[in-house]
Amino acid sequence: MIYLDNAATTLQKPYAVAEAAQRAIRKMGSPGRGGHKSAMLASETAYNCRELAAELFNVPNPENIIFTMNATHALNIAIKSLARQGTRVLISSFEHNSVTRPLYAIGAKVSVATSKLFDPEDTVRAFEDRLGSAELVIINHTSNVFGYKLPIEKVASMCKNAGIPFIVDASQSAGVLNIDYTALGADYIAMPGHKGLYGPQGTGILIASGGRTLMEGGTGSNSRLPEMPDFLPDRFESGTHNMPGIAGLAEGIKFVKKLGTAEILKREQALIKFAADGLSQIKDIKIFRSENPENQTGVLSFNIGSEPSELVASELSKRGIAVRAGMHCAPLAHRSAGTYEQGTVRISLSVFNTKFEINRMLDAVEVISKNLNKIQK
Amino acid sequence: MVYYLIICRSLTYAQRTARVLEQAGISAIVMRPPVKIPEKGCVYCVKISEKRLRDALIALNNAGMSHGKIYILYADGTGAEVIA
Repeated sequence: MIYLDNAATTLQKPYAVAEAAQRAIRKMGSPGRGGHKSAMLASETAYNCRELAAELFNVPNPENIIFTMNATHALNIAIKSLARQGTRVLISSFEHNSVTRPLYAIGAKVSVATSKLFDPEDTVRAFEDRLGSAELVIINHTSNVFGYKLPIEKVASMCKNAGIPFIVDASQSAGVLNIDYTALGADYIAMPGHKGLYGPQGTGILIASGGRTLMEGGTGSNSRLPEMPDFLPDRFESGTHNMPGIAGLAEGIKFVKKLGTAEILKREQALIKFAADGLSQIKDIKIFRSENPENQTGVLSFNIGSEPSELVASELSKRGIAVRAGMHCAPLAHRSAGTYEQGTVRISLSVFNTKFEINRMLDAVEVISKNLNKIQK
Repeated sequence: MVYYLIICRSLTYAQRTARVLEQAGISAIVMRPPVKIPEKGCVYCVKISEKRLRDALIALNNAGMSHGKIYILYADGTGAEVIA
């Protein structure tokens, strides 16, 4: 199989990730639940992972690295810490349902900084225009549908100047783009562990300095008290940790640190350019690419004429090529790009993808494009 | 051997404390206190050698880290709170 669905989950991981997860299953107890060897091994592994993440994202204190189940879990903690019913929240027009659905559920007053795809200046203007009435800003670092790299540094600066708290959804950028928590000054940064950080599924990270708990329970600390601890990371980490996941995630982060996000981005951007150039040669293909390649990461959406994106993805799957089609859980992004009805076919890369694989994908798309009429009959 | 135990509010804080001490050249072990500590329940501590308490407190202070109560752990396994 040629796997081009890395925006959902990176499938190919560094070998050490699976090894570490396996070792955790065999050797580790629960961190913070005992002083014996297996509990302390788990504790050391968890702390090591926090330190690695803290270094990668320039977080001064490893206690601010909170382990979550995924980015959605992390975003829910962040959003529900800062927003209540009626809170005026300004979001970008490229947000995922993991942002919009929690906001809808709590009854926040959401306004959208609608901007053009791949136009950072327009995005900044859209935030500037609507910032005055906002009590909270949430911005996606990179669109999961189009790979559009939003100008979060500029929006962060505006928020800081206006004293408005802000949350960054780094689901598609963690491990690919440089993220500096200290320089950005975000209140929360949420990310998955299983995408660009190459950890196992069921892992995520929230960078936080406090907030409201989503769930309460045992933490292995302050156990005589009825309330949750007020210190991190315990405040947000009730219940037994996902040690196989965390052990694997530590190895994934080590891999990213060793290669460097600049190198990872460079490789993915080069391959996306190659894919976009190839697709643009095929008849009836509409591709969504940035005129300035710097504004796009390793994600590319396309359509074949007005054919349903799901049909194209299904045909690619039959040929051993894994992509994702439809709404990608981001209807807002599709509205912004005018693809709400059709959706798009999305290819998304990891550092393990090759030119050979892209060539195979291009060949398959060409064949499908020529034969779609026959296929539909 | 006699040791000092620096009580920490959480396991992660104990681990961070130990890292700071190790970086200052002070051997430090994260553990559950082997003596009864009348705290809020379930605490961790960092064990250091009897001779390094002063250096440890200076290192923590230099790193801007606070510490909890300090206990002395005697060779017979008994302990007592000390005032640092």
